[in-house]
Amino acid sequence: MDKNYLKMGPHDVGGEESLPIDTTDNNMTHWEKYANALRIVVSSKRIITLDELRYHTEALGDQYFEIGYFERNCLSLHNICIQKGIYDTELFQKIKSKKISEFDVPIVDLPDVASINHIHDGKPHLHNMSDFQEDESGDGPPDYYFDTLAIAQIFIDQGLITNDDITLKIEQFDNVFPNRGKAVVAKAWHDNLFKEALVKDAKKAISDIGIELETFADIICMPQTDTVHHIVVCTLCSCYPRTLLGMPPSWYKSRSYRSRVVHEPREVLAEFGTIVPESKEIKVHDSNADMRYLILPPRPSNTEGLSEIELSKLVARDYLVGVRLPK
Amino acid sequence: MLELDYRSKAMDTKFKINDEITVDSRSSTGHCRTPAYIRGKKGVIERICGRYPNPEEIALCKKDPKIVTLYRCRFKQMDVWDNYSGKDSDTIELEIYEHWLNDV
Repeated sequence: MDKNYLKMGPHDVGGEESLPIDTTDNNMTHWEKYANALRIVVSSKRIITLDELRYHTEALGDQYFEIGYFERNCLSLHNICIQKGIYDTELFQKIKSKKISEFDVPIVDLPDVASINHIHDGKPHLHNMSDFQEDESGDGPPDYYFDTLAIAQIFIDQGLITNDDITLKIEQFDNVFPNRGKAVVAKAWHDNLFKEALVKDAKKAISDIGIELETFADIICMPQTDTVHHIVVCTLCSCYPRTLLGMPPSWYKSRSYRSRVVHEPREVLAEFGTIVPESKEIKVHDSNADMRYLILPPRPSNTEGLSEIELSKLVARDYLVGVRLPK
Repeated sequence: MLELDYRSKAMDTKFKINDEITVDSRSSTGHCRTPAYIRGKKGVIERICGRYPNPEEIALCKKDPKIVTLYRCRFKQMDVWDNYSGKDSDTIELEIYEHWLNDV
């Protein structure tokens, strides 16, 4: 039966045929980190909810897959602000022009080496040209970065958020959140009682060891076993336990991964180099609402006697989504 | 709103663990968390997640969104896809709000 009429929009991709997955994580540029931080700050302060953002992203229609993930976020945030009257187009353009002008610095002519070598403490002091290279090259920031900076500036001017909120969030995503999941898994490998508590009620167990996840979503921990292989996807957007694992890798947000894992998990796992034997059940978790998932990988062999810190260095992010297993 | 204990399981729920359900096959407009591919499919209740504000209403900025019971439901992959190439025992689990679930 053709059930295409049920498709809610461009984002509802679960079950589509799609291309092979680019399994490398392409990481994030600074503007993407900034855009991500702004989105999280705005939604955690409930200035605009995540569901509103999703709704407006889904409403982008054909544009949805024509522009990138963070571009979609930026555009939907802007559309909501205009619709809700948080600012108007005139104010936005004025602030955006100001932001663009802040980047509009004159290109400095690099000095000639001969003219800048000088006498220093009575001795000739020789410089290399590399001392004078500019540290940025290539094109300027993308236009969406200026949009994002303008939106943030208006929120700051209105007293809704501060610059420090955004900076802190960027730092947490870089340095704090990605390490939490690794520490939790290493502790579960090391301490059987903690493992039991984690599988029983992950959010409570994680909170009990002093990690506050700052999210109202619940966390469910699924341990990989000899008989069941777990794998996580969000077919509708990119739900992911961000405050436990950091940002999702680029492939997790890709159309290919979101479309295919649900209906051909073995083929997708093989693209990550994970061959699941026929004797094992594959259980796919579509993280489509208020739960977030942590897959607990088996402890690697030959690690007896290692400390929690040493074990945490063996935890790879891909294990925690279920696309790979430790050797 | 954040103070509510969404995770509380101490309540009467329409469905219990292991109950058989089908996901409603109606179409929807606006923001909704029930993917098209699972609508009309038969499965069982895997667990009761708690009571959460209805995202369909949050997306529209309704002042007091209805608090609805959220379930995790388990489906056999063979029941979800016409030509599933994997094993009979493979399963898929999703979170479905109560107003999208029907008795079998």
